[in-house]
Parts: sequence; C-alpha cells; structure tokens
Amino acid sequence: MRRKHILAMAWQNMKLRRFRTALTTLGVVIGITAIIGLASLGEGFRVTIREQMEQGFELNVLTVMSGGLLTGVPSFFTEDDVQNISKIDGVILATPLIQKSDVKLFNNNKTSTPLVMLAVNFSEFWTIYPNRLAFENGGLPQSTKNDTTVIGYNVEHPTEGESFANPGQNITIQMTLQRFPPRRENFTFNLAGTIAKSGAAGFINFDDTIFVPIDATKKLFNITNSDMIFVRISDPSFSDSVAKKIKDRFGGEGEVRVLVPAAFLEQVESVLSMLQIFLTAIASIALLVAGLGIMNIMTVSVMERTREIGILKAIGARSRTIMAMFLTEATLIGILGGLMGIPLGYAIAQVMGRFLFRFSAEVTPRRSIITGTTTHPLMEVSPILSLEWVIIAIVFAVGVSVLFGWYPARKAAKLDPVKALRYE
Amino acid sequence: MTAVLETRNVKRTYQMGKVMVSALRGVSLQIEESEFVAILGPSGSGKSTMLHILGGLDRPDEGEVLIDGISLYALNDNKLADVRLHKVGFVFQFFNLLPRLTALRNVEIPLTLANVSEQESIKKAKEMLELVGLGDRITHRPNELSGGEQQRVAIARALINDPKIVLADEPTGNLDTTTGGEIVRLMQRLNKEEGQTFVVVTHDPSVAENADRILFLKDGLVQGEKRGVGGARH
Repeated sequence: MRRKHILAMAWQNMKLRRFRTALTTLGVVIGITAIIGLASLGEGFRVTIREQMEQGFELNVLTVMSGGLLTGVPSFFTEDDVQNISKIDGVILATPLIQKSDVKLFNNNKTSTPLVMLAVNFSEFWTIYPNRLAFENGGLPQSTKNDTTVIGYNVEHPTEGESFANPGQNITIQMTLQRFPPRRENFTFNLAGTIAKSGAAGFINFDDTIFVPIDATKKLFNITNSDMIFVRISDPSFSDSVAKKIKDRFGGEGEVRVLVPAAFLEQVESVLSMLQIFLTAIASIALLVAGLGIMNIMTVSVMERTREIGILKAIGARSRTIMAMFLTEATLIGILGGLMGIPLGYAIAQVMGRFLFRFSAEVTPRRSIITGTTTHPLMEVSPILSLEWVIIAIVFAVGVSVLFGWYPARKAAKLDPVKALRYE
Repeated sequence: MTAVLETRNVKRTYQMGKVMVSALRGVSLQIEESEFVAILGPSGSGKSTMLHILGGLDRPDEGEVLIDGISLYALNDNKLADVRLHKVGFVFQFFNLLPRLTALRNVEIPLTLANVSEQESIKKAKEMLELVGLGDRITHRPNELSGGEQQRVAIARALINDPKIVLADEPTGNLDTTTGGEIVRLMQRLNKEEGQTFVVVTHDPSVAENADRILFLKDGLVQGEKRGVGGARH
C-alpha cells in the first residue's frame, strides 16, 4: 500500500475521532511547550547574564589580593611586587590600590553617608579601565597634586538632581585612621572631577566610591604597602597564564589570590547551562506523560478497531500495512503537537521573560558587597529560540509518539484475522 | 477443467477453554474453475473454519491447501496476505464493510492495498458496483444501505481484484429470504456470466440446492456430495 494512502487513512481516522485526537495531541503540545519554553528562556537567561557580566566584569582586569581573608590582608603588597607583576608577559600595567571604609564627606552643611575610599594612582588606574570611567564634570587630577579627589556618580548625586560639590571646590574628607579605638580626622581635598554613571566591575561599584591619591593616603595612614594590585592584561585569553605566574612569584597557592573574571564567567556559564539542561529534563517528563497518553489512547483505539483490522487483514492487508497505519497516526500526532508546542512555548517564554523576572528582581534586591547599598536591577530576559531546539523538539515529539505508539501498533498488526473478525 | 482450489487431508483442532475441539478431521476436496460449490452442514460442523483455511485466513494443523497451484501454508504471513489480496475474495455473513467509508471506497480498498492508481481504482470500483446493481448508490455509506445492498457491496469488493475464487460464509444468513434469494441469484449470475468460481458455506439447504455441487460437512469431515440444481447446466 502506498504511503500516500496510509497517510490519508491515518488522517481520516484522526479526523473521525477529532476530540480524542485533540486531547492526545494536547498532551504532546504541553510537553513541547514546556520544553521549548524552558529551553528558550534558559538560553535567553544565559545570554542576558553573560552580557551583564561581561559589562560588569572587565575581563582584561585581574585583581591580586593576599590570601586568607575574604578581602585580603591589608598592606600586603610592596612596591617591588607591583613592579614584578608588571614585567610578566601579557601584562600591560599593574597598579597598587588601598581600600579604606568608613569615610565621610562634608561640603558646607552637606554630609555624605559612610563611603568606601579607594586610594589609587590616578593615571594608572584610569589606564586599567580605559573606557569605563568617563567624567561628568572636571577631569583627572594632575599627578603632582597630592590633595585632589574624584567622586563617583552616586556620591555627587545622593538623590537625582542634587549635587554634592562642584569640581574646583574644596571638600572635607573624614577618614577613620584607626578603628580601635576609633580615631577620625578631617582633611581638605580639592575636587578635581565627578565620574559619570559607571556601574560596577567585580566588587567595586564606581558610582559609590571616592578616589584619592595613593601617595597621600600612605602618608596619612602611615603605611608603605598597598592592599591589592590591579593588573591589566592585553587579552582575556592570557588570564590563566598570567594568574599562574603571579601566584608563582608569591610562592604559590594560598599566599595570594588572583580574581580572574573570565574564569568566574566560565563557571557561571557552566552552572547556567547545567540549569538549562536540568529544567529541560524536567520539562521532558511532561512529554513522557504525553507519550503514555498516546499509548493509552492508541491501545483503546486498536481494541475499538479490532474488527476493522480483521476486515483489512482478511481482504489482503499485510501486518506491516496495519502497523504503518497506526504508527502514521502516532507520527502525525507528534508532528502536530510539536508544531503547535514550539510557537506556544516561545510565546509563553516571552511573557515569562518580561514579567516573571522583573517581578523576581523586585522581590530579591541585590546588595553590593562593598558599599552595602541596595539596588533593584530591572532585568528583562528575551528568550532565544535556536534552530537546534526546534529540531530537538520535533524529533522528541515524533520520537516519543512513535515510541509509545509502537506497542499498540504492533498489537494491531499481530491480531489474528479470524479472531479479529469475530470480535464484537 | 482444472482445480483452482484443492485441499489434502486438512486437520484443525481448537482449544476452547480446557477442551480440545476437532473442527476439521482430514478434509480433502477439489474445486474446479468456474464451479459454484456449496458446503452444507449444521452449525458446529466446521464450515467457517473450513472457509477460513481455504482462504488463507487460518493455518491448518495438518494437510495442504493449494490455490491456483500455490501451496498456501508454506507461505509466510506477508505472502499469505498477498494471496488473500489477489487470489481470494471473501463475502461474510455480517457484510464486514468499513462503516465510515462510502460504498465506492469500500470496494476500492483491495485496489488501494494492491497499489492500483487512484484514477484507475475509482473507475474499476464504479464498474464493479454497476455489475452488482448498485451503480446509483456509490456515495452511500453502509448505514445508508439495506442489508441486501451492503452484501452487494461486499460481493463487489470480493470481486474487484479479479480473484481465482470467491469464498462466501453464510452470505444470506443475515438477510430475509427474498433478499437472500437475490444475493444467491447475483452470485449465480456472476458465476455464469463472468465464469467466477464460488464456494458458499451455508446451513440453508435452499441456498445450497442451486449450486453445481453440494458437499456435506459433518463432524469435521466431508460426508458425501451431490449435484445441485445448478449442476444441471453443465
């Protein structure tokens, strides 16, 4: 019997039992919708996270900290350490950095909240982040001047529209020179510039930070060493080799830690793809249930059509033809379910990407490690449906349908025509 | 005349519950080409089993069945299905039409199974329905046809692939006497005019008496034969 005729017969049977066919197909539709929805949402989520992280993490910048404590032992790195690191192949520049917290700014009657102060070599630090730190007003302090400062966007604008100070003005910086017992002193700095909105890189939120010259800071705190070294490399692909060389110079693992944003990004990526696979696997259960539905319905259908199968066999249909008829029905259900489930899943993913993630971003605000400020990131995820997933979904839908249709189809094909003809 | 159908010592035993029933206990017979043979016997005599085995629907435990010189039960299931498709036509007591198909489509099925082109199969099926006197009922479904009409469709379906032999199992058993008579006359006409070989199984002597030859089946054995009214023609 020709394929065309088998197809026509299968289609006719499905049309005849419209309601039943619709319900069976619906099972497949739900399964494929779940798979496509979660897969495309997962893919979109992954890409969104990666884009955000690529923006957030400057992949060309490694951070060297002393081992041990979370934020490293203060005053660990000497000037020689910085020089040695800058000589490593692939390193463009290494610059020291001192980090002090519990710093307040005063300008006339205005007082800031406690801030984080980063003591840097201005020209070097701005070379580490060449494209990142644009000025809103003013500019980089001259290197010869030791009492100049630059403040981040949120420091300059505690609320939108408000201005804390203008470049050229002198402002007072209150530093906590000693914590126990607390010893605070006020110093006057000249404001050289205010930075435009720059966001965060790694654990530094530039917008919440006040920058001061490192040499002046060393004098004020009476220290010679720095807390961290920021290293700019020529390409993110050197990350691992440079990190290894740095560790080797300090006597190996444990002495220093090197934060490699590219490695972190990779880890997050692998976690996210595992999550995607996991979610899709759960969604596949829905499809398996649909497969059982097909098996169930087809078994009933074979029983109902026993007599018809007997007639067909009596007048000369081969077992293979009978089997092909039933498998064709299963295949059609799979294709139909797949074709309907794919756009539906994608549509649901669109809706979820727009609303669910926005909602979750609002109920789970992000808290910055260093500044302690809370932000509500408004993240929208645009689901991504790749051709791969479309093909996987169709193959899955048809595969499951045929797999579960196989048993009833075989049962039909194996029917004894004499018994089938007697069946009432 | 040559034998289109021949059986040699056919035996068939059934298990019904715990009891073994010998339906056929060594049947040997020959059907000649263009013959109209009736197999007459009371119910339970093994008539239906006989017919199923003659037509390649059921395998005997022992013995041989030859249609057109082909030994049926040496064939595998697929080849046996092909024999049913091309060499045998079945007519059943309960018509056994596919209820959702029109008369035309029902008659077409064997042609479709035989891969005949759609155009040709429609043409042939129409001609065949005209031959059985249903030229004006081709688009009707079985539930829109009377019992006699349904059996005519079944006969058309049995004849459509130009079989060597048509096997009819109580073809009038589900019809009133008048309609039953019409069906018998139709089969006899097809036998006379088209030279179609028929084997009709029945328990009704009035159906059997019009045959060329009547075989009496009892307790799983052929226990005699006689010439029927139709036999007078030869």
